[in-house]
Amino acid sequence: MSLRRQGTTLFSAMLAFVGAAVVLQLWLLTVSMEALLSGAYKTLIPAATGSTVLLLINAGLLRYVFRFDRDAHGE
Amino acid sequence: MNTLDEEDGCAGCKATVTPKWRQDFPIEWEGDHYVSRREMVKFLTLGSLLLASANWVTVVASRLLHRGSYVNRYIGSASALDQAGSMLFRYPTDGDPCIAIRTPEGKVVAYSQVCTHLSCAVVYDKAENGLFCPCHHGLFNLAGQPIAGPPTRPLPRVQLEQRGDQLFAVGMEAL
Repeated sequence: MSLRRQGTTLFSAMLAFVGAAVVLQLWLLTVSMEALLSGAYKTLIPAATGSTVLLLINAGLLRYVFRFDRDAHGE
Repeated sequence: MNTLDEEDGCAGCKATVTPKWRQDFPIEWEGDHYVSRREMVKFLTLGSLLLASANWVTVVASRLLHRGSYVNRYIGSASALDQAGSMLFRYPTDGDPCIAIRTPEGKVVAYSQVCTHLSCAVVYDKAENGLFCPCHHGLFNLAGQPIAGPPTRPLPRVQLEQRGDQLFAVGMEAL
Protein backbone atom coordinates (compact mmCIF):
# COMPACT_ATOMS: atom_id res chain seq x y z
CA MET A 1 0.00 0.00 0.00
CA SER A 2 1.47 3.37 -1.02
CA LEU A 3 2.00 6.11 1.52
CA ARG A 4 -0.57 8.27 -0.27
CA ARG A 5 -3.19 5.49 -0.12
CA GLN A 6 -2.48 5.04 3.59
CA GLY A 7 -2.86 8.79 3.98
CA THR A 8 -6.31 8.76 2.33
CA THR A 9 -7.60 6.22 4.86
CA LEU A 10 -5.93 8.01 7.73
CA PHE A 11 -7.36 11.39 6.72
CA SER A 12 -10.86 9.92 6.46
CA ALA A 13 -10.66 8.79 10.08
CA MET A 14 -9.04 12.06 11.12
CA LEU A 15 -11.69 14.07 9.29
CA ALA A 16 -14.46 12.19 11.10
CA PHE A 17 -12.78 12.85 14.47
CA VAL A 18 -12.14 16.54 13.79
CA GLY A 19 -15.69 16.96 12.47
CA ALA A 20 -17.13 15.41 15.64
CA ALA A 21 -14.92 17.67 17.78
CA VAL A 22 -16.11 20.77 15.90
CA VAL A 23 -19.76 19.74 16.37
CA LEU A 24 -19.03 19.32 20.09
CA GLN A 25 -17.46 22.80 20.17
CA LEU A 26 -20.51 24.22 18.45
CA TRP A 27 -22.70 22.67 21.13
CA LEU A 28 -20.44 24.09 23.86
CA LEU A 29 -20.78 27.54 22.31
CA THR A 30 -24.58 27.35 22.26
CA VAL A 31 -24.55 26.23 25.91
CA SER A 32 -22.24 29.15 26.77
CA MET A 33 -24.44 31.66 24.97
CA GLU A 34 -27.51 30.39 26.78
CA ALA A 35 -25.67 30.49 30.11
CA LEU A 36 -24.43 34.03 29.41
CA LEU A 37 -27.92 35.30 28.63
CA SER A 38 -29.45 33.61 31.67
CA GLY A 39 -26.70 34.76 34.05
CA ALA A 40 -25.40 31.24 34.85
CA TYR A 41 -21.76 32.29 34.68
CA LYS A 42 -20.39 29.23 36.47
CA THR A 43 -20.63 27.14 33.32
CA LEU A 44 -18.75 29.56 31.06
CA ILE A 45 -15.14 28.81 32.05
CA PRO A 46 -15.49 24.98 31.99
CA ALA A 47 -17.16 25.23 28.57
CA ALA A 48 -14.40 27.49 27.22
CA THR A 49 -11.72 25.20 28.67
CA GLY A 50 -13.35 22.15 27.08
CA SER A 51 -13.52 23.95 23.75
CA THR A 52 -9.83 24.87 24.01
CA VAL A 53 -8.86 21.26 24.75
CA LEU A 54 -10.74 20.15 21.62
CA LEU A 55 -8.97 22.88 19.65
CA LEU A 56 -5.59 21.64 20.87
CA ILE A 57 -6.45 18.07 19.84
CA ASN A 58 -7.53 19.32 16.41
CA ALA A 59 -4.37 21.41 16.07
CA GLY A 60 -2.27 18.38 17.02
CA LEU A 61 -3.98 16.32 14.32
CA LEU A 62 -3.46 19.10 11.77
CA ARG A 63 0.21 19.19 12.66
CA TYR A 64 0.32 15.47 12.03
CA VAL A 65 -1.28 16.08 8.61
CA PHE A 66 1.43 18.59 7.72
CA ARG A 67 4.15 16.21 8.81
CA PHE A 68 2.54 13.37 6.88
CA ASP A 69 2.36 15.57 3.77
CA ARG A 70 6.00 16.41 4.11
CA ASP A 71 6.89 12.73 4.34
CA ALA A 72 4.59 11.84 1.41
CA HIS A 73 6.19 14.47 -0.80
CA GLY A 74 9.58 13.18 0.13
CA GLU A 75 8.57 9.61 -0.78
CA MET B 1 12.79 20.30 -2.63
CA ASN B 2 12.98 21.75 -6.14
CA THR B 3 9.57 22.41 -7.72
CA LEU B 4 10.73 23.66 -11.08
CA ASP B 5 9.12 22.24 -14.20
CA GLU B 6 9.14 22.67 -17.91
CA GLU B 7 7.48 26.12 -17.60
CA ASP B 8 10.54 27.34 -15.81
CA GLY B 9 12.71 26.04 -18.61
CA CYS B 10 14.29 23.28 -16.58
CA ALA B 11 14.36 20.55 -19.22
CA GLY B 12 16.41 18.25 -17.04
CA CYS B 13 13.91 18.34 -14.17
CA LYS B 14 10.86 17.52 -16.32
CA ALA B 15 10.58 13.82 -15.56
CA THR B 16 11.26 13.91 -11.82
CA VAL B 17 9.63 17.06 -10.37
CA THR B 18 5.85 17.68 -10.08
CA PRO B 19 4.77 21.31 -10.12
CA LYS B 20 3.17 22.55 -6.91
CA TRP B 21 -0.15 23.47 -8.55
CA ARG B 22 -0.47 19.94 -9.92
CA GLN B 23 -0.15 18.45 -6.46
CA ASP B 24 -3.39 20.20 -5.50
CA PHE B 25 -5.24 19.12 -8.67
CA PRO B 26 -4.41 15.46 -9.12
CA ILE B 27 -5.80 13.45 -12.03
CA GLU B 28 -6.45 10.19 -10.18
CA TRP B 29 -9.41 9.76 -7.77
CA GLU B 30 -7.19 8.50 -4.98
CA GLY B 31 -5.07 11.62 -5.16
CA ASP B 32 -8.15 13.84 -5.37
CA HIS B 33 -9.62 12.36 -2.16
CA TYR B 34 -6.28 12.76 -0.48
CA VAL B 35 -6.13 16.49 -1.23
CA SER B 36 -9.79 17.32 -0.46
CA ARG B 37 -9.77 15.55 2.94
CA ARG B 38 -6.52 17.23 3.89
CA GLU B 39 -7.99 20.61 2.99
CA MET B 40 -11.14 19.80 4.95
CA VAL B 41 -9.11 18.99 8.07
CA LYS B 42 -7.37 22.36 7.74
CA PHE B 43 -10.69 24.15 7.26
CA LEU B 44 -12.30 22.42 10.25
CA THR B 45 -9.32 23.22 12.47
CA LEU B 46 -9.70 26.88 11.55
CA GLY B 47 -13.39 26.60 12.48
CA SER B 48 -12.37 24.95 15.73
CA LEU B 49 -10.10 27.92 16.50
CA LEU B 50 -12.94 30.36 15.86
CA LEU B 51 -15.36 28.40 18.06
CA ALA B 52 -12.88 28.18 20.95
CA SER B 53 -12.25 31.94 20.63
CA ALA B 54 -15.99 32.63 20.67
CA ASN B 55 -16.28 30.59 23.87
CA TRP B 56 -13.65 32.76 25.56
CA VAL B 57 -15.43 35.88 24.27
CA THR B 58 -18.51 34.78 26.26
CA VAL B 59 -16.30 34.51 29.39
CA VAL B 60 -14.93 38.04 28.83
CA ALA B 61 -18.43 39.36 28.08
CA SER B 62 -19.76 37.95 31.35
CA ARG B 63 -16.97 39.73 33.27
CA LEU B 64 -17.61 43.02 31.48
CA LEU B 65 -21.39 42.84 31.90
CA HIS B 66 -21.26 42.45 35.65
CA ARG B 67 -18.10 44.30 36.59
CA GLY B 68 -18.61 46.34 39.72
CA SER B 69 -22.00 44.83 40.43
CA TYR B 70 -23.60 43.92 43.74
CA VAL B 71 -23.44 47.29 45.33
CA ASN B 72 -26.26 48.19 47.70
CA ARG B 73 -29.03 49.95 45.86
CA TYR B 74 -32.20 51.55 47.21
CA ILE B 75 -35.17 50.08 45.33
CA GLY B 76 -38.18 51.66 47.05
CA SER B 77 -40.21 51.71 50.22
CA ALA B 78 -41.85 48.70 51.83
CA SER B 79 -45.13 50.61 52.25
CA ALA B 80 -45.31 51.32 48.50
CA LEU B 81 -44.73 47.62 47.87
CA ASP B 82 -47.53 46.71 50.29
CA GLN B 83 -49.95 48.92 48.35
CA ALA B 84 -49.02 47.72 44.88
CA GLY B 85 -48.29 44.05 45.66
CA SER B 86 -45.27 44.15 43.36
CA MET B 87 -42.65 46.68 42.37
CA LEU B 88 -40.25 46.90 39.45
CA PHE B 89 -36.64 47.99 39.83
CA ARG B 90 -33.26 47.58 38.15
CA TYR B 91 -30.40 45.62 39.66
CA PRO B 92 -27.41 45.19 39.57
CA THR B 93 -27.18 47.50 36.53
CA ASP B 94 -29.71 49.71 34.81
CA GLY B 95 -30.00 47.05 32.12
CA ASP B 96 -31.23 44.32 34.50
CA PRO B 97 -34.96 44.52 35.23
CA CYS B 98 -36.12 42.92 38.50
CA ILE B 99 -39.38 42.53 40.36
CA ALA B 100 -40.06 42.62 44.11
CA ILE B 101 -43.17 40.97 45.54
CA ARG B 102 -44.87 40.93 48.92
CA THR B 103 -45.93 37.28 49.38
CA PRO B 104 -49.26 36.38 51.05
CA GLU B 105 -47.16 35.26 54.04
CA GLY B 106 -45.84 38.80 54.37
CA LYS B 107 -42.29 38.17 53.17
CA VAL B 108 -40.61 40.36 50.57
CA VAL B 109 -38.90 38.49 47.74
CA ALA B 110 -37.28 39.76 44.56
CA TYR B 111 -36.21 38.10 41.32
CA SER B 112 -34.79 38.99 37.97
CA GLN B 113 -37.67 39.86 35.69
CA VAL B 114 -36.02 38.11 32.74
CA CYS B 115 -37.71 34.78 32.01
CA THR B 116 -35.19 31.93 31.85
CA HIS B 117 -36.89 30.57 28.74
CA LEU B 118 -36.53 33.30 26.12
CA SER B 119 -35.90 36.43 28.19
CA CYS B 120 -39.38 37.96 28.17
CA ALA B 121 -40.35 40.02 31.21
CA VAL B 122 -42.28 38.10 33.87
CA VAL B 123 -45.10 39.81 35.79
CA TYR B 124 -46.69 39.14 39.15
CA ASP B 125 -49.92 37.16 38.83
CA LYS B 126 -51.91 37.48 42.05
CA ALA B 127 -54.51 34.89 41.04
CA GLU B 128 -51.87 32.23 40.33
CA ASN B 129 -49.71 33.44 43.22
CA GLY B 130 -46.64 33.37 41.01
CA LEU B 131 -44.66 35.09 38.30
CA PHE B 132 -46.20 34.73 34.88
CA CYS B 133 -44.44 35.03 31.55
CA PRO B 134 -46.96 36.22 28.94
CA CYS B 135 -44.85 35.24 25.92
CA HIS B 136 -45.13 31.46 26.25
CA HIS B 137 -47.31 31.11 29.36
CA GLY B 138 -44.50 30.11 31.68
CA LEU B 139 -45.18 30.26 35.40
CA PHE B 140 -42.79 30.49 38.36
CA ASN B 141 -43.82 30.12 41.98
CA LEU B 142 -42.84 32.71 44.58
CA ALA B 143 -39.70 30.71 45.37
CA GLY B 144 -38.60 31.42 41.78
CA GLN B 145 -38.98 27.80 40.65
CA PRO B 146 -40.60 27.05 37.27
CA ILE B 147 -43.90 25.21 37.73
CA ALA B 148 -45.59 25.48 34.33
CA GLY B 149 -44.80 26.21 30.69
CA PRO B 150 -41.50 26.02 28.85
CA PRO B 151 -39.01 27.47 31.43
CA THR B 152 -36.82 24.83 33.08
CA ARG B 153 -34.44 26.98 35.17
CA PRO B 154 -35.34 29.08 38.23
CA LEU B 155 -35.32 32.87 38.16
CA PRO B 156 -32.15 34.47 39.61
CA ARG B 157 -32.99 35.73 43.09
CA VAL B 158 -32.13 39.22 44.30
CA GLN B 159 -30.98 39.44 47.92
CA LEU B 160 -32.83 42.18 49.80
CA GLU B 161 -32.28 44.05 53.00
CA GLN B 162 -34.93 46.08 54.80
CA ARG B 163 -33.83 49.14 56.81
CA GLY B 164 -36.90 50.61 58.42
CA ASP B 165 -39.30 51.29 55.57
CA GLN B 166 -36.57 51.28 52.95
CA LEU B 167 -35.74 48.28 50.78
CA PHE B 168 -32.24 47.73 49.41
CA ALA B 169 -30.99 45.21 46.89
CA VAL B 170 -27.63 43.93 48.13
CA GLY B 171 -26.73 41.05 45.81
CA MET B 172 -27.75 38.30 43.44
CA GLU B 173 -27.76 34.65 44.33
CA ALA B 174 -25.32 32.75 42.14
CA LEU B 175 -26.91 30.34 39.70
